[in-house]
Amino acid sequence: MEPVAQQIPLEHFLALSAILFSLGVYGVLTRRNAVLILMSVELMLNAASINMVAFAAYASPEKFTGMIFAVFIITIAAAEVGLALAIILRIFRNLGTANVDEVDELKW
Amino acid sequence: MNMTDAWLLPLLPAAAFVALTLLGPWLPRKGDWLAVGAIATVFVMVLLIAADFTDALAAHGEEFAGAANSTQWLEVPGQLELRLGVHVDATTIVMLTVVSFVALMVQVYSLGYMKGDSRYGWYYAVISLFVASMLALVLADNFLLLYFAWELVGVCSYLLIGHYNHLRSAAEAAKKAFITTRLGDVGLLIAIILLWRATGTFNIQEVIAAAEAGEVGREVLTASVVLLFLGAMGKSAQFPFHVWLPDAMEGPTPVSALIHAATMVVAGVYLVTRTLPLFQLVHGGPELILAVGLLTTFMSATMGLVMTDIKKVIAYSTINSLGLMFVALGVGAPAAAMLYLFTHAFFKALLFLGAGSVIHATERQDVSSLGGLWSKMPITCVTFAVGALSMAGLPILAGFWAKDEILVALLDNKAAFALAMATVPLTAMYMARVLILTFFGDPKEPESHEHAHEGSPFIFVPLVLLAVLTVFAGFVAFDQVGELMGFPGGIGEIIFLGHPHAFHFDWNVAIGSSALVLAGLAAGWFAWAARPSVPGVCLSMLRPVHALFANKYYLDDIYQAAIDRVVLSIARLVAWFDRNAVNDTGIDGGGYTAKFAGYLMKFQQTGKMPNYALGMVIGVVALTLVAFTLKG
Repeated sequence: MEPVAQQIPLEHFLALSAILFSLGVYGVLTRRNAVLILMSVELMLNAASINMVAFAAYASPEKFTGMIFAVFIITIAAAEVGLALAIILRIFRNLGTANVDEVDELKW
Repeated sequence: MNMTDAWLLPLLPAAAFVALTLLGPWLPRKGDWLAVGAIATVFVMVLLIAADFTDALAAHGEEFAGAANSTQWLEVPGQLELRLGVHVDATTIVMLTVVSFVALMVQVYSLGYMKGDSRYGWYYAVISLFVASMLALVLADNFLLLYFAWELVGVCSYLLIGHYNHLRSAAEAAKKAFITTRLGDVGLLIAIILLWRATGTFNIQEVIAAAEAGEVGREVLTASVVLLFLGAMGKSAQFPFHVWLPDAMEGPTPVSALIHAATMVVAGVYLVTRTLPLFQLVHGGPELILAVGLLTTFMSATMGLVMTDIKKVIAYSTINSLGLMFVALGVGAPAAAMLYLFTHAFFKALLFLGAGSVIHATERQDVSSLGGLWSKMPITCVTFAVGALSMAGLPILAGFWAKDEILVALLDNKAAFALAMATVPLTAMYMARVLILTFFGDPKEPESHEHAHEGSPFIFVPLVLLAVLTVFAGFVAFDQVGELMGFPGGIGEIIFLGHPHAFHFDWNVAIGSSALVLAGLAAGWFAWAARPSVPGVCLSMLRPVHALFANKYYLDDIYQAAIDRVVLSIARLVAWFDRNAVNDTGIDGGGYTAKFAGYLMKFQQTGKMPNYALGMVIGVVALTLVAFTLKG
């Protein structure tokens, strides 16, 4: 079996990653529910992970630098989700909403 | 002790000042013994140095110019080398003797006079600093050190005039003294810089040598001599700067004796004595000194005649004497000026300390509330009388010899001689007046007279010592006396700056001036003792003249008006500019601009998370585009 690098060109991975990232940005900017925004952020993180792995596979297949980064990103994303959900929960408990348009206490 | 060790002298009182300032409150007796001990040691050292000087004089003869010892202070290679050192010659020896002896007397006197003062330790600290700076001033071999010391004595004078700082008048007087002398000091500083630019050295002897060799341009030399004299006029209270000295009497009386009679105010005379060759190089230089001296001596005599404050009368007599010293310098007789300075220090310190004794005993210092004190305070009365008669110039007292020396030097200048002679009876008259009104006649305030008594030995022993010197100090002018005292060639050689036979005695002048003195004393006795109605009659006849004298020729008012009109209006203009342009526009303006910009920008902070996220995205996209564009 040939390495994946010879079967699919790098551009495909990058296009996938770019589409995924754009979807995430779109979600962050348009969603009003804090939980959905969090999910969009996760999309963006995954787009970044794909980039890492793809570049690693093409640039230096004998090393696993990119893959290790991806594992780290997944770990940290898990922690971040836990933290962010806790914050959203507190906001919901205190303000009675998870709509980010209504959470604007920190302003002039 | 060698002459070249003289640099040690100022260090002792300076150390006492540091010790008193840092440790004063914890020292027994607040450390006054430290200050007195330091000055006593200095006095002994001065005597040793004087002995060394006379030995050197005997060994080298007349061409002995003095000893110098200096060390490098700082250097800019090829540009500038500053040396710091001492120069000991006859003038220095005279000044050192006067400063250390009078300072010792005054400090001992203060043990009694200042007892119980709330700032006793500070008083002794500042007096020590004053003595240190005065010694440094006298010893300095260069203008720079002289100027430092010159300013330091001014600061000490300021601090001591304002010693009773709870009195507004004392604070005002201190300020007035400082500012008035500063006006002259600015001149001195400019003169020093001008001379340095012209000659490249601060050393006094070298500057004089360079000027005599014609290395200094005529305009520069004239300007620096006039500016130098401004400094001397300010310090020595010459017209029109004399106004600060009578007000300086607000300070404690021992301070008046030390600083405003015997030492600091003669610094100007000393400076001019030192730089007299420069004045003589300038056309009209000596005449300037002569004119200022004559005007000062005559005006102060007239003002002394009408003052009622015992200390102010003596203050005007000091201005009178200082003027006379400048007269002597103006006619090229520095020896006469130094002899007068030497004797004046003793009898004027004596007069002030005597006045202090009266003030201490009665807590009055206006002659209109004194009188009849001779029975209560015989020692003070006799010693004060000796001082007053010496100031008047009665024969065989110290003041007589010195004044006659000056009058003889004036013989060639008829107008100046006449004016100086005219002040002689005036001086005698006002000294008789203050003596009579204070010690004789009926007590004008029986209550304070009742409580008056002689002070402690600390107070009357210095009086007696100074009185003895006032009687005998004049004899040093004669060679025989000096030889008896163990000085080879006579102590007169020191007083006369290495010209031992310069003491002139002219029987005609002596008899003439003595007659005038006696006439003045008799007039004073007649007016204020024998016929007490006379002053009233004179007053009614000469009211405008009296008003002119009593108001000090309206000089204070003129100065006040000048300050109000000119200085204050300029100050108001500057204040307006400062308030509006600098403060409101420059400082506040910047602040308000930033504040308004902040007010406008704060509305960007909506607090809504999507807005911030959109901002971030736009930012990232923009940065990316920029990066790609730049990369090409």
